Amino acid sequence: MLLSIALLLPWVAGAVLLIANGRNRAVAWLAVSTLVATLVVLAFLAAEVYGNGNVRVVTGHWPEGIGIVLEADPLGVTFALLSVLVVTAAAAYESVGGVRTRTFPGLVVILAAGLNGLFVTADIFSFYVFFELAMTASYALSAYGGKRRQLRAALVFTAVNLLGSFIFVFSVAGAYRVTGTLAMEQIAERMLEVNPNAVLLIATGFFIAFSVKLGLFPFHFWLPTVYAGARPSVAAILSGAVANIGAYGLLRFGAGLFPQQLEQAGLALIILGAVSILYGGVLAVSRGDVAEMLAYSAIGQVGYVLVALGVAGPVGLVTAVLYSVVNSLNKALLFLASGVRGALVAGAFAIGSLSVAGVPPAAGFVGKLELFRTGILADSTALIVLLVAGSALSLVYMFQVYQRCFWRADPAKAKASPLPQRLIAAGLAVLVLAGALWPEPLLALSGQAVESLTSSSPGAS
Amino acid sequence: MVRRSGRGAAPDSVVRVVARMLPAPSVMVAAALIVKGYAEVGDGFAAGVIVALAVSLTYVAVGADGAEAVLPVLRHAPKIAVTGLLLALASGFFPLVYGEEPVSHQPAPGEPLTKFGKLELFTQLLMDIGVFLLVVGVLVMLLHQFGRLRGEEKS
Repeated sequence: MLLSIALLLPWVAGAVLLIANGRNRAVAWLAVSTLVATLVVLAFLAAEVYGNGNVRVVTGHWPEGIGIVLEADPLGVTFALLSVLVVTAAAAYESVGGVRTRTFPGLVVILAAGLNGLFVTADIFSFYVFFELAMTASYALSAYGGKRRQLRAALVFTAVNLLGSFIFVFSVAGAYRVTGTLAMEQIAERMLEVNPNAVLLIATGFFIAFSVKLGLFPFHFWLPTVYAGARPSVAAILSGAVANIGAYGLLRFGAGLFPQQLEQAGLALIILGAVSILYGGVLAVSRGDVAEMLAYSAIGQVGYVLVALGVAGPVGLVTAVLYSVVNSLNKALLFLASGVRGALVAGAFAIGSLSVAGVPPAAGFVGKLELFRTGILADSTALIVLLVAGSALSLVYMFQVYQRCFWRADPAKAKASPLPQRLIAAGLAVLVLAGALWPEPLLALSGQAVESLTSSSPGAS
Repeated sequence: MVRRSGRGAAPDSVVRVVARMLPAPSVMVAAALIVKGYAEVGDGFAAGVIVALAVSLTYVAVGADGAEAVLPVLRHAPKIAVTGLLLALASGFFPLVYGEEPVSHQPAPGEPLTKFGKLELFTQLLMDIGVFLLVVGVLVMLLHQFGRLRGEEKS
């Protein structure tokens, strides 16, 4: 019931809000309150899932395998909660500033519905449907603002991601062809008996599709234009919520459906991740513009997730989940903070910067700590050197921009933004701090999420 | 009726006449497809595409303004699309009210049906009508946008 409501609420509200005039303040705040209500429903759902195990719904009284299975497990609800939280923060931020287009509030709520759906489905085709729902909303959102820059960003984003979606649905078709089913559980079982070459091809297709979403190194080319061109709230949504699709997909499909292929490809993933970290880091140092720097930093940060995934094993996967969560909060915080000026903002930005660099009083520290643990477990000096170099680079580029933005006396920029906008950024900063000061829940959540993931896949040890 | 001016000549009179005649029968074909559905090929999506195709010919023949002058209902495309989506969602999620799983339909498979001529009455029909409205609405919205683009280019 909770699961169905978490889908139904944003879907219906989003559809209704789409025809309302979003420039009206009441409409914008109605969208925000819908998102908050969705967040509350998801929190109850998460409590149920963490307390009493997975929540499962099979549509229409059909036997499993015919009816679509929706299953909320710890990994799914964690990502759903996180993504809807980021979307809510960004929508509230934009509503304070005044929404500029009719459709923004409706699109944001529809995006939340799509994200919720794809994080709780246990069927790869309905995953694709929700994925497209979320992506279509984000294509329209990336044009938000309507200036030349935003339109260019939207064109690039849409063109590249449509290609990614095409590869994804192609892989879905391939998986269906070789296993004759679309339910994730059955696919994982039957994949063990399929010709390994076919499985590898399908797994690679999924990997490419999700890497495009995430902006990993060889598939990153669209990302700087888009993140730098979009408005701060949209950039926060894209990097803090929509990119989660990529991280979640790599975990769910990689560790859940193709554990053997993940193991085989471990070294390749680590190398791609390492290149991402260095490429993103070096280019971020060379950028002066905040949004552009953050875009390159995003490429570097997802590299860590891929490295953790490549090391695999329970520790590597827990680290991947943890780092994705922390990274998404960091990015939302930094993009939102980069768009405002005034008291509190510099502090919030500094906390975000520390978190990206992995310095203690911020949640990024916990993520980096787990990464180092992963590196030591993998018994690889090169990996640890890479992590240190990556962290040092991020410290340099974050504080270079921090200095330029917040230490320079610039009277033209001194006009303070509305207090609620600054409070939203500060609230996210407090969340990032809390994640470091009291990391146990975060670690326990990630641990349980990975347990639910690996226990459902028969190929894992 | 607004004549298309500017680039090129106005479309052939045959095209204009056909475009004018086509929408009404296309709705009949769509209705037939929805009625036929389930046992034979046909559903709300296909029906929606057929109506949208007929409407698109009107847009080609007389332009966006002309099409919307001839068929004023086209101006309400966004509302039609959202109504369709809400109808489909309602038929999907309504079973929750009496504690059933989403997308459960009445009567269940194998149970006797109420028939009204050829029309079989069951709740899936509502979902198909919803999908039909959604498809028509969204495609007409797209046509409207494309038609307007051409108009802006001219001025």
